[in-house]
Amino acid sequence: MKRDDSSIVNSQGSLSVSDESIARLLCDDSHVEEAVRLIMKKYGEQLYWHIRRMVVAHDDAEDALQETMINVYKYRSTYSNEYPLSSWLYKIATNESLKLLKNRSGFTLSVDDLGDSLKDSVREEASPNADETLILLQEAIALLPTKQKMVFNLRYYDDKSYEEIHDIVGDSVNTLKTNYHYAVQKIKDYILEHQL
Amino acid sequence: MKEFDLENFSREMPFTMPEHFLDDMTERVVSQIGKQRKQKKERKFVALFAGAASAAAVALLFLHPFAQSGFNIPDYESISQCASVDEVFQTMSADELGLYSMMSNYYGN
Repeated sequence: MKRDDSSIVNSQGSLSVSDESIARLLCDDSHVEEAVRLIMKKYGEQLYWHIRRMVVAHDDAEDALQETMINVYKYRSTYSNEYPLSSWLYKIATNESLKLLKNRSGFTLSVDDLGDSLKDSVREEASPNADETLILLQEAIALLPTKQKMVFNLRYYDDKSYEEIHDIVGDSVNTLKTNYHYAVQKIKDYILEHQL
Repeated sequence: MKEFDLENFSREMPFTMPEHFLDDMTERVVSQIGKQRKQKKERKFVALFAGAASAAAVALLFLHPFAQSGFNIPDYESISQCASVDEVFQTMSADELGLYSMMSNYYGN
């Protein structure tokens, strides 16, 4: 296997190694650690923020990201190149975020019942000099039902197409569009209600 | 009222990610994967060793002369306590007598 392509960095300083190369390394036992490093380099930041937007607290995002990467290693044989590598990674990260939230909600509550507690965490976790509008937006997102939150975040922050979101979340494109529409409406209502 | 448009909002987050977080996380994950791989190799070795030991034990059982002959080996201790030697010889089959003779020669009896 050609190994020098794994350290190609483009002029913007980001990693330009192809997903196919990473996937090949991931399936090769002797290069799996190298593949994990490349995934962290290429997708680590995106995955961190995807998780962080779901779980809000940094410590929780840290746990979920670590579990995500361990699962990438454990379940690497389940990856199929029919889907983009990034969709597979986002799917694992989404599952880990939901698992963490489910553990937090316990047996009696659903993940959707965590809205108020997540909203409170937004203000606690926000940087001291953070823009108030950005905090309001995150509070509004925290209060959304989980499915709407996932779809909104993937579309709004990660610029994912509905087809890509379908690969990650699994619902039909029409359902995803409806979820996004409702999410935007609820966010709009919340911000208009709370804006100074 | 001004028209609300989400597109006018910044995509920035009001949170920050600690410095060097991703590098530290990468090292932690790689180290954990290394440990898991090592444990997996050790488990494989133990399973292989246990398999080989079981196979050797089974092979020994089959290769043992008594197991191969399928004879009923007289219990000498109980014989000496319960019956005379002549009585015992009378109840022994031809194969058992052969084995007895072979063992007698071996032990110089």
